[in-house]
Amino acid sequence: MASSSVARRGALRRRNAITGYSLLAPSLFGVACFLLLPVLIVVWLSFQSWDLIGPVSFVGLDNYRSVLTDGVFGNSLLVTLVFVALVVPIQTAIGLWAATLLTRGLPGSAWFRTIYVLPWIAAPLALGVVWKWILAPTDGALNALIGQRVEWLSDPSLALPAVAAVVIWTNVGYVTLFFMAGLLNIPDQVLEAARIDGAGGLALFWQIKLPLLRPTMFFVLVTTVISAFQVFDQVYALTQGGPARTTDVVAARIYYEAFGAFDLGRAAVMAVVLLVILVTITLAQQLYFRRRVTYELE
Amino acid sequence: MRRARPAAVYLVLLAGAVFTLGPFLLSILTAFKSREQFARESTLAWPDPLTPGNIVALLTGPAEFGRAILVTLLAATLILIGQLISSILAAYAFARVDFPGRNALFWVYLSTLMIPPVVLVVPLYLMMTEAGLRNSFWSLVLPFAFASPYAIFLLREYFRGIPQELIDAARLDGASTLDVLVEIVVPLSRPIIATLTLITIVSHWNSFMWPLVVTSGSEWRVVTVATASLQSQFNGNWTLVMAATTLALVPLLVLFLVFQRQFVRSITFSGFK
Repeated sequence: MASSSVARRGALRRRNAITGYSLLAPSLFGVACFLLLPVLIVVWLSFQSWDLIGPVSFVGLDNYRSVLTDGVFGNSLLVTLVFVALVVPIQTAIGLWAATLLTRGLPGSAWFRTIYVLPWIAAPLALGVVWKWILAPTDGALNALIGQRVEWLSDPSLALPAVAAVVIWTNVGYVTLFFMAGLLNIPDQVLEAARIDGAGGLALFWQIKLPLLRPTMFFVLVTTVISAFQVFDQVYALTQGGPARTTDVVAARIYYEAFGAFDLGRAAVMAVVLLVILVTITLAQQLYFRRRVTYELE
Repeated sequence: MRRARPAAVYLVLLAGAVFTLGPFLLSILTAFKSREQFARESTLAWPDPLTPGNIVALLTGPAEFGRAILVTLLAATLILIGQLISSILAAYAFARVDFPGRNALFWVYLSTLMIPPVVLVVPLYLMMTEAGLRNSFWSLVLPFAFASPYAIFLLREYFRGIPQELIDAARLDGASTLDVLVEIVVPLSRPIIATLTLITIVSHWNSFMWPLVVTSGSEWRVVTVATASLQSQFNGNWTLVMAATTLALVPLLVLFLVFQRQFVRSITFSGFK
């Protein structure tokens, strides 16, 4: 009796294993071949020298030495950091403001929300090309509008802010959407109680709403920082990394290093560094979030 | 502080809407202008005559935009079908089958969400070259058609909400795992599948860096790559370039306006992209 139930449980386990792994087979193939294997290959490639045509040869730490000392990649890291520092705070502030205006229960709010999200779902490359024309010096729409000739994309001091502005314009609706959801989740009783205590307008926003929005804020900041670190399409369309490498963000540098200069070893080193940075940000966020949650439960 | 009056709020919201829609409208208006009018009049002038010439030139001319649209749609559709099938199977295994190694594997799947796509471009290019698939239709599809850990994660959450009694009842009637999936799980999961469909179509219609890298020439060009190459080839011929951006932007705008509820829900729900 006991032994037959053990045998039956063994059979069930075996059947579950077969069912489970047959169901997983296609995705396991995809994850192993197209996500995990490429990461191993990029690490391996970072120790090789390859120009896409000739043979691959092992060069030890040479790629790391050249990437980390010649200043080109250092410049890209710096440009990317400045870009993130421009884009994330500004789009967060605008998105938060728009969300407060759209959650007042005014008729038509849903329409405005829909309009604001349009740039987020459209192709970043195509929008980048549209903005390239809008910002063009002689026949561009913006200069026609202001009646002045400004070299938005070829002046080294204006190019990065201009690219950042285009990306902010693209992302604001996305940020707005999350803050709207966060604001609508605040219980009415909380706001009512605060109003009875005399809090109104700005005080209500800074002292009640903003602290309650902290989880939303956290989510928005993490996801937008991570995506801003990888910006490529708009840079490719608007400036191709120029002028004088002032918009040469990390993703663009990886692309030009690999498929412009045909130095795949160096491109692989840069990819590895970017991977380490973004994984660190994600893990740090996980740790921080877990600590906060337990803190709040206490 | 006094509460701002609705009129002031509407003014701000309207300014935001004009600023948001402006570039889209400029792209569309310029696409329907003749080159002569564009050169002669203000960039902001209304198209007169309103001509489809630029769009027609793109679709029928050497830019082969019609082909690019077909290639993009076909690739996105195949990726969608592959991802949905493999993700639904995997999500069901993670949600409802108790097999050894389940938690560890799920953790591995989740951890791949941290890998930035930019990092994969160089090694995937190497793999496609070695496999002799560079500049082929399959190089656009294969790397994405087998799994989306993201879709698996969302589907698993959803499947866990399906009552186990429904599945057990079907089991007693002799249904196999595949029967259960096809007859119970998938029909009950229509909203999440619709969400994933929208996300997948949008992100692969818009996708740029990978197709740019892995294809060359006009044979397997997708819409974004065709737009970029048109811009570098005809720099300054803005009416033609804006026709290209219009063709790249408008189909998604229409899709968005038709399914806007689902879109808004899926963005807040999943935080795509």
